[in-house]
Amino acid sequence: MNFTPPAIDYFALSPMIVIFAAAIVSVLVEAFAPRTIRRFLQLLIVFGALLTSAVLIVLNAGTRTVTGGGAVVIDGPALVMMGTIVVLSILGAALMAERSIDPVGDSFAARASSLPGSEDERQLTQRGYLQTEIWPLTLFAVLGMLLFVTANNLLLMFVALEIISLPLYLMTGMARRRRLLSQEASLKYFLLGVFASAFYLYGAALVYGYSGSIFFPEIAQSLTSKPSESIVVFIGMGMLIIGPLFKIGAVPFHQWVPDVYQGAPTAVVGFMAATVKVAAFGALLRILYVAFGGVRWDWDPLIWIVAVASMILGSIVALLQTDIKRLLGYSWIAQAGFILVGLAAASPAGLESTMFYVIAYGFATVGTFAVISMVRDANGEATNLAAWAGIGRKSPLVASALSLFLLGLAGIPLTSGFVSKFAVFVAAIEAGATWLVIIGVIASLIAAFFYVRIVVIMFFAEPTEQTASVVVPSAFTTISLSAGVAVTLILGIFPQPVLDMLSNAGLFLR
Amino acid sequence: MTGGEVGTGETIVFWVCGTLAVIGALGMVISRKAVHSALFIALTMINLAILYVANSAPFLGMVQIIVYTGAVMMLFLFVLMVVGVDASDSLIETIKGQRVAALLMGIGFSILLIAGLGNGLMETSSIGLETANSANGGNVEGLAMLIFTDYLIAFQVTAALLITAAMGAMILTHRERWYPRKTQRELSEERFAAGTHPGQLPPPGVYARHNAVDTPALLPDGSTSDLSVPEPLRARDDVREIDTDDIEGIRKLSSGSSTTDEGDR
Repeated sequence: MNFTPPAIDYFALSPMIVIFAAAIVSVLVEAFAPRTIRRFLQLLIVFGALLTSAVLIVLNAGTRTVTGGGAVVIDGPALVMMGTIVVLSILGAALMAERSIDPVGDSFAARASSLPGSEDERQLTQRGYLQTEIWPLTLFAVLGMLLFVTANNLLLMFVALEIISLPLYLMTGMARRRRLLSQEASLKYFLLGVFASAFYLYGAALVYGYSGSIFFPEIAQSLTSKPSESIVVFIGMGMLIIGPLFKIGAVPFHQWVPDVYQGAPTAVVGFMAATVKVAAFGALLRILYVAFGGVRWDWDPLIWIVAVASMILGSIVALLQTDIKRLLGYSWIAQAGFILVGLAAASPAGLESTMFYVIAYGFATVGTFAVISMVRDANGEATNLAAWAGIGRKSPLVASALSLFLLGLAGIPLTSGFVSKFAVFVAAIEAGATWLVIIGVIASLIAAFFYVRIVVIMFFAEPTEQTASVVVPSAFTTISLSAGVAVTLILGIFPQPVLDMLSNAGLFLR
Repeated sequence: MTGGEVGTGETIVFWVCGTLAVIGALGMVISRKAVHSALFIALTMINLAILYVANSAPFLGMVQIIVYTGAVMMLFLFVLMVVGVDASDSLIETIKGQRVAALLMGIGFSILLIAGLGNGLMETSSIGLETANSANGGNVEGLAMLIFTDYLIAFQVTAALLITAAMGAMILTHRERWYPRKTQRELSEERFAAGTHPGQLPPPGVYARHNAVDTPALLPDGSTSDLSVPEPLRARDDVREIDTDDIEGIRKLSSGSSTTDEGDR
């Protein structure tokens, strides 16, 4: 037996190594640093690591390599996704770091272990305890996402999926206010999430049984080289993609979305809605384009059905919502459907438009939740739409920012949403799925109705005594909000540089 | 077991252990008591381990027994015993017809899966693990080779998963004390001030026939003392019934009208 250690390109992996190392240091800080300086140290570590990682990703531009024994692939699309995830994580982490919106602290429970409503909880809150464990959890989630978009085999992809999920399950249940709702959301997310993971694993086993390998290039090769395609591999593929489809909240794997959106701390929703969508689409693209690229006609109908169901159900149910976080949850489901339209094209244009869409969507989402976290009344965040009546007259600037994001999500021209919807629809038409685009346009019109409805409520309704007020945040939220506004406008007016970057990024390395 | 052929012995092992594993899995879902569920999982795990060993994966089989059946299941049981579980699971359906719908979907999915796989695997012959196991001089060596070459990165980042899991458990359960620790004196003063039961609770009833903790102690008038049975057992309604003869005997004893000649059983 002769052992040759696998070649590892440490520089290509450095964006992940930095995050992993920082996460471990951050756990040690939790264990050993005195409580008074923990928050400061954690913020230093988290933002330092994320910025370093972003720089390393930029320095890696142009890298196209498979490393770590064939398990990790760093190519153009992977670097774009990684960069987007890291930048969005910085903005999301900034929302989590905000401490001046809530008068008693940040948006997390003083101690997640204290019983809601107990004396323990009251005392800990009064003494200003902060659950600083959210920071190592954030870093682990980011690590998982970076691995998710670069994994080149089904095992590493599964481990990455779990590294993303565990911290998010935990952070969902840690809201400072309305804690029972938050804990319920966390439990639902956890139970449904492990269920989806089990499907993924079973699918992976079946795919392995057919092709004899769990590495994507070898799966692709076995599909083209074997004389007949077995039904086993298609059952396996169908179950496999449930993992990423669950994470992007596509129908019928969407049941957790509204509850988690409503229950989780708003900052966490902003972080996770933006980044997880990028990561999950990255993984889904890689599975379908690299491993199953040769049998496109077999998975396309599957994606069509899921896309149509997500667009229609998400748009229509969102019309009936009265809670803004829940409404955005359903809008997330509808948006997943729109992005899947681009993915179903299975062409270079499909890849580019999907990536553009998730980038545009990510920034608009972070900004949206930044605004939602600022609109408050005596009980905390005012998420009921009734409390939003006439906000635009009291705080025109913040309301205009939110209107920009919502119009962006609706796909109105001059915003990033228009360009991204246009791109995915063009990709789908080129691929011959015109009927899918027609359904997409109809669903967009329905969706535009509820986005515009919020804008109307904010600007054209008379303020009542129920109307909430807008709290002035610290620099953290302001930065996230401004970045969201800037990117949404720039991608809407001058999308060309980013589109060029995406087409230069090239295709997946097979 | 040579590669490619499934012998009679292996077929028998498969049908016996496979059946038991499925029974265990169903029992885990169906049983009302958490402890029974835990034991059913253990049954499933052990049978899976035997199947792994029969499939020439002895290392996986042993790990399955040591880690799952040994460590994880026993921890489950410990937790169940320490925490104590209320038997009355809410069986009210919050969504009407949910259980029927779930059952139908489950059966439908199983039929699809079994029919599809049965169809697809009809022609397939098994390859066996002979080649894979002998490539590096044994099952364990082969695994080691894979872990440190192809799956090195996956193996390393599993650390992130374990750290997160450990930290998550701590976040959800670790209570931090914000008040000073109470002294012995303060604790005892508190107990007396409460005025309920300052001393130790009465121990469970111990007779010649029973010495289990679920046996309530008898009071002089022949009734049982609830205080003598641990709280979780009472919550589960697991308190042992006392023989009426015993109660009668004790009542007679305490009233002085009888001798112990009844206690000859």
